[in-house]
Amino acid sequence: MTRSLVVGVLALQGAFIEHIQIFEKIQSPVSYSFIEVRTEEQLHSCDALVIPGGESTAISLIAQRTSMLKPLMDFIKSEKPVWGTCAGLIFLSKQIVNGREGQKILGGMDIMVKRNAFGRQLNSFEQKLDFSTFIPGVSDFPTVFIRAPVVEMILDDSEETYNKLGEVIRSENTYQNPSKVEILHQLENGLIVAVRQGNKIGTSFHPELSDDTRFHKWFLDEFVSGK
Amino acid sequence: MSDFKVKAGLAQMLKGGVIMDVVNAEQAQIAERAGACAVMALERIPADMRASGQVCRMSDPQMIKDIMKTVSIPVMAKCRIGHFVEAQVLEALEIDYIDESEVLTPADKLLHIEKKKFKVPFVCGARNLGEALRRIDEGAAMLRTKGEAGTGDISEAVSHIALIKKQIEEVLALKTDKEIEEYAKEIRVPVESLVQLIENKGKFPVVNFAAGGVATPSDAALCMQLGCDGVFVGSGIFKSKHPEKLAKAIVNAVTHFDDPKKILEYSTDLGELMFGVAVGGLKDTEKLSSRGW
Repeated sequence: MTRSLVVGVLALQGAFIEHIQIFEKIQSPVSYSFIEVRTEEQLHSCDALVIPGGESTAISLIAQRTSMLKPLMDFIKSEKPVWGTCAGLIFLSKQIVNGREGQKILGGMDIMVKRNAFGRQLNSFEQKLDFSTFIPGVSDFPTVFIRAPVVEMILDDSEETYNKLGEVIRSENTYQNPSKVEILHQLENGLIVAVRQGNKIGTSFHPELSDDTRFHKWFLDEFVSGK
Repeated sequence: MSDFKVKAGLAQMLKGGVIMDVVNAEQAQIAERAGACAVMALERIPADMRASGQVCRMSDPQMIKDIMKTVSIPVMAKCRIGHFVEAQVLEALEIDYIDESEVLTPADKLLHIEKKKFKVPFVCGARNLGEALRRIDEGAAMLRTKGEAGTGDISEAVSHIALIKKQIEEVLALKTDKEIEEYAKEIRVPVESLVQLIENKGKFPVVNFAAGGVATPSDAALCMQLGCDGVFVGSGIFKSKHPEKLAKAIVNAVTHFDDPKKILEYSTDLGELMFGVAVGGLKDTEKLSSRGW
């Protein structure tokens, strides 16, 4: 008997249960189990990890205080699939343009993110987006953006350009993602809201808040089970 | 309604987190550094309001603005029950969430604000199922227990959680349309609200936080184990000797609410906590939780 694949959802703070609820609705021939991850032991049992939405500062600070930062950085290094949504995208990035003092990040993707890029809650919104270029047939996915971040810049070798930006927070993780960053989706105004780099993926929006399971199914098929 | 997802969604992002009362930018910064997922900006914390015996209103927008400028986490502010103009002002200020709060002196003795009209989301207190469903019906995108603010006594919050749980069980046990209608009448809610609750297997469409009387890491974990989605801490933190330490400890305890060994660690050596006012010693007219209808 083959054991089931374990997909963890980081449960330090935020909307982690929502991810698990969506995953559990998906019918699949592959056997999965979905668990909340709060400790190093739980993390070690995972084949893939989702970092949910929440408050990026809170998640980072709690990770540091509960000795989870290093295990999470090591998980990134282990090259297992990781998906970050909203705050999770911020946590997964290599740099934050407007981070807070003491906010540490995992450095899994060569991107610089901007927090609250659309402004305050009054600028939060819902919109259907066309993801058919990377998820076949999904041309009307309902997305929710809540005080959402965006990918401000894809980091390449042009270190100088981003060094000029003053208070950039940089990840202390020595990991270097071996793949190239692909932009999966840009809004009409050019803002980058979904990126992929190898088996890491980051989204500004919250597929876990829609009742639509297709994004989560794609993550399992494409990243976790390698269907 | 599409707006609702965006409003309730922010509250979902606050889950498993701690929202802290702060009266100035400095406290807001301490809260943010401690890992608060949001702050509640108000002029005086409930313990001081309770002691003042004065009319308590929405805070000075300048103070709220300073706090909004200082921190990057969501900022909430309170308006009086039924005072829809205070709510309009807070919306104009671009606050992230409005708490229509019994901690302030109510402005309307019959009605709460028609919250659906606003783009900014609202959180409201509820001490029983009737209040909870009425607030949701009015458009609240988040609920919290009322507890008894400014006392450091968790007992009221616990009984509000227990009562709502018990009433939901009663609703789920209703069999006929007639029984549902009668129950709806008894707790003064639209029949539709009960039907929806039954369809959702007793789950609210919004998150429900604990509030009112949380003073220790164990208090916070208690509410989480009782099924709350997160915790508001009012006077407890900044009325203690070491606010920063306590704030961090409560944040940690909410994450690891199910792990007694960790809560033991977080509870240890916190120094002097907030004074307490036992709710049992308060007259009904002195209880803030009796405000709102």
